[in-house]
Amino acid sequence: MSDEATSAATDLIIEAEHLTLCFGGVVSLRDVSIEMRRGEILAVIGPNGAGKTSLFNSLTGVYQPQEGSIIFSPRDGTKLSVIGKKTHRIALAGVSRTFQASRLFSALSVFENVKIGAEDHRGIGLVGALVKGPRTRRGEHRSDEVVLELLEFVGLTGEANLIASQLSYGARRRLEIARALATHPEVILLDEPAAGTNPSEKIELTALIRRVRDELGVSVLLIEHDMKLVMSLAERLYVLNFGSVIAEGSPAEIRANPVVIDAYLGSSHEETSA
Amino acid sequence: MTIFSSANLKRLFTILVITAVVALMTGTPGSSSAPPTTGVHGSFLERVSWFGFFAAPRWTVFLTLGVIVWLLVSLYRPRARAIRQGLDHVMAAPRGLTAKRPARLTLMAIALVIVIFLPKFVHESFWMYLIVEQIGVWILLALGLNVVVGFAGLLDLGFAAFYAIGAYTTAWFTGALPVPALFHHHIPTLWVIPIGIVAAMIFGVLLGTPTLRLRGDYLAIVTLGFALIIDDFVEIQNGVTGGGVGTSAIPHPALNLGFYHFDWGLSPTPYYYLCLLFIIVFIVVFTSLEHSRIGRAWVAIREDEVAAESVGINPLKYKLMAFAVGAASGGFGGVMSAGLVGIINPSFFVYSVSVNVLVLVIFGGMGSIWGVAIGAIIIQTATSYLDNYQPWGYQFNDLYMYIGALLIIMMIFRPAGLLPSRRRAREFAAAEGGEEIHTDEVLTGDQP
Repeated sequence: MSDEATSAATDLIIEAEHLTLCFGGVVSLRDVSIEMRRGEILAVIGPNGAGKTSLFNSLTGVYQPQEGSIIFSPRDGTKLSVIGKKTHRIALAGVSRTFQASRLFSALSVFENVKIGAEDHRGIGLVGALVKGPRTRRGEHRSDEVVLELLEFVGLTGEANLIASQLSYGARRRLEIARALATHPEVILLDEPAAGTNPSEKIELTALIRRVRDELGVSVLLIEHDMKLVMSLAERLYVLNFGSVIAEGSPAEIRANPVVIDAYLGSSHEETSA
Repeated sequence: MTIFSSANLKRLFTILVITAVVALMTGTPGSSSAPPTTGVHGSFLERVSWFGFFAAPRWTVFLTLGVIVWLLVSLYRPRARAIRQGLDHVMAAPRGLTAKRPARLTLMAIALVIVIFLPKFVHESFWMYLIVEQIGVWILLALGLNVVVGFAGLLDLGFAAFYAIGAYTTAWFTGALPVPALFHHHIPTLWVIPIGIVAAMIFGVLLGTPTLRLRGDYLAIVTLGFALIIDDFVEIQNGVTGGGVGTSAIPHPALNLGFYHFDWGLSPTPYYYLCLLFIIVFIVVFTSLEHSRIGRAWVAIREDEVAAESVGINPLKYKLMAFAVGAASGGFGGVMSAGLVGIINPSFFVYSVSVNVLVLVIFGGMGSIWGVAIGAIIIQTATSYLDNYQPWGYQFNDLYMYIGALLIIMMIFRPAGLLPSRRRAREFAAAEGGEEIHTDEVLTGDQP
């Protein structure tokens, strides 16, 4: 954490401040503040039930935190206040995500899955879709090209015509990333991208996530349980426990942080007793 | 490419075959007193006036029209092909998915020939009438409901409401209701078609805007309530809708283009072709919708609304679209039915009508356009047969007993329907295999 990091801190892509999210009497997030810099790979770790997915759902508008603010700043210089916005609006503004359990459209082909993300959902209405005039055709053409590029990027070109449910687990996770990238996001939120994959698929995924940032310039926010993967990938980490941020820092700092070690040991005791 | 290249001459042949079919369709209807060939003979050799200038056999008129169409197509072709070639390299992969198998095309061609020539072989106008009223109109309704239920996955239990709105709009604008027509101006039945469609769409959007935000079964209850209200309204409002008696003064559709006049009149055959034309249009339009971005968005919402939102799809917008398209088809069915029968009353739009349309969709295969059309033909033919011949001591009231039994058997042996859509069949297979079933716990997996 040197001068370089502090100078980059001025260019924040997501600023979440003092988020508090409750469900009835259950507090899911308690005064959580997260700052994400443009172009970084940031990870959120923590034991089960720490509120990581709640944080993701708050950032994408699925949940509405009762307190706090979330500001998303895309490259065009605008500021978008996320809380209170509909999920699809936030997605179109440039915040994309994948899900903990893969939520692909299982009856559609690999190609169609990505194409749904690549299509312009603001443009043409019923008449445009029916008449298939030059504008619609051009739109289709453009989204087809985007889809083919993305399938090549994640290495699924050969599987384009397979049905999503026919894919292996690792391929499904890559397809989810391709679908999330299809909306041309500036930030991609990956919720346990390596869950359920085998070691060689994990290596592929690590390389893929790094390429998402390096080649496409998309900032990456990551939730992951696999510590080896997180530590090799993330440049900075936040640690959540019981809905609060308990630590923040580089992988080396986090590894050495006694509070974090305590939280993990404590939680594993709870897990075995539960 | 010259106009006389072999490919283009082949095209001329195709166009001439189509023109010949059109000539047959618009020609002399079959009659029970003459042999079946009379209709074919008359359709080509009958002398007609050339837009009032001179008289000549019908075939000369159609031949000329065919050649003109061919010339226009020949001039347009090279441009269209250039556009397509530009797309080919990107479309190579996706096209493989939707490629039509030759066997399927052949079947479609055979089906088309059969339905086009059907009136030449059905001699009793009573049966012709039943085919239009009991099969044709119901296919239209089922195709429309299929968009709502099959494509978008929204359960609509009150489809008859839109059917009623179409029919009563027709009656109102043609001046057949006790209330005076809008601006006291009577509009010909044929021109009410767009008005009926728009009226039904408006009601669909009005009903859908507040209710489509709800998830799950609420919508089914709302649509059910809506249909009951509409049904009650037309029954009670004597002064507006004619009450329980309804109205019987709806004029037959007629086309008047100045030089050309055609009255649909009392014979069912012209209605048959009108209905057939619209069924074909509906099938083409809905197939194209299914494979458009809107169709894909519908599948996405149906399968996983949260994931769909996460890629920027506004579920409310697309559900409203499905609802409006469905309502429009229902409204159109109403206009068709009112124009054909000339009589409407509340008994046409009772709750069982909604159920019946839904049965056609489920039986044929939700989301499968061809399945729904064929399912409607089978069930409606069987129903008409039972009602009119009453075999094996069958009575009117028994109908829903048989339909109920049919549904139960279908759900056990063929839950995705008679001819399931490929997408739907995959969803059923995935659900039975127990994978890809999302619950809210998956999304909120981190929640205590």
